[in-house]
Amino acid sequence: MSNHSEAAFEKQPMWAGGRSPFNISYGKLMMWIFLLSDAFTFSSLLVQYGAQRFSNVQTAVTTKWPDPASIFNHFPLMHGFHLPLLFVSVMTFILILSSVTMVLAVEAGHRNSKKEVQRYMFYTIIGGVAFLSCQAWEWVTFIHEGARLDGNTFGITKEGYDHLHSVGFGSHFEWDKAVDRTNGPVPFAALFFIVTGFHGFHVFSGVVINIVVYIMTARGVFERRGHYEMIEKAGLYWHFVDLVWVFVFTFFYLI
Amino acid sequence: MEFHSTPGEYDAINYVPHTESHGTKELWKTFWLLLGITILDFVIYFVMGPSGIRNTIFILFGLVKAYYIVGAFMHMKNEKVNLAMMIIVPTVFILGLIWVMLYEGGAITDLHTHDTNKAKTEVHK
Repeated sequence: MSNHSEAAFEKQPMWAGGRSPFNISYGKLMMWIFLLSDAFTFSSLLVQYGAQRFSNVQTAVTTKWPDPASIFNHFPLMHGFHLPLLFVSVMTFILILSSVTMVLAVEAGHRNSKKEVQRYMFYTIIGGVAFLSCQAWEWVTFIHEGARLDGNTFGITKEGYDHLHSVGFGSHFEWDKAVDRTNGPVPFAALFFIVTGFHGFHVFSGVVINIVVYIMTARGVFERRGHYEMIEKAGLYWHFVDLVWVFVFTFFYLI
Repeated sequence: MEFHSTPGEYDAINYVPHTESHGTKELWKTFWLLLGITILDFVIYFVMGPSGIRNTIFILFGLVKAYYIVGAFMHMKNEKVNLAMMIIVPTVFILGLIWVMLYEGGAITDLHTHDTNKAKTEVHK
């Protein structure tokens, strides 16, 4: 039935049944709707970050919001150098690159080229794993400096520190180590872990989905099916993860 | 594009429209664009001091990147306008959430600032 022209398609009543009103497969439509709901989830997390930052005031226990440049200024094998934004830019580059290989896999799928799909899916998986490794390094460095879900070494006054200790929190950091930092309230580290962690979990599930799709491609499932629609669905998810990272990068590191 | 005159022919669950490759040229163009904007982000971060204007630039750049990711990488440009509207228009609710929460944050700031001043004057008296 694929010989009908587009004009004939347009003439058909859109919601009268017998056709897909969006000319899209069921699975892809559901993926779009899921991504919309996921966009709401991520935006509520980021907006919460904004609200915390907006409501931040100098009190007896905390001072200003920390300056990201003075905290995320490390780079692997470059110990002791002040290199703000560099590592996270490398992470952004990795994610953009893996997005390109993903979209190339989708394009190869349109040409039913099994070999190319497999190759680009492999590159995408490598990119995802590289990004996750970078994030693990970032987290380890941050935790090593005293960041915890329930406390923040970055931005606490002496009074705040003494109070935290008197109620049993914050025993993992020393005041002497905390003073050379710019200051901020407790949710700073907590929000970082929750938002980048939620994003990292999306990357992780994206890598798992990509591995499953890679194995299915290698076993010729899509070749037998006659189309590589599944690559497109996995691709939509993967690009969405990239999209979210754009905003995490903007709000956590740039601003 | 295909349609079926009789409802029985159309299988909503297994229907997959025929898609064709649009080539890789546009995709690579989008990649260089995204990379360029990210490098520009990096440069502006060090050239400009922190300010409201700089933050606005970063947010606008983020939206431009989002446009190209959704449009080119997610092929939204090639989808039906119906679908694009259905997915993109509901995100205006996010603007509402941003407005409400930032207003709330600002109100908390005012509250705290007010209390701190009050506490200070009481101590000085």
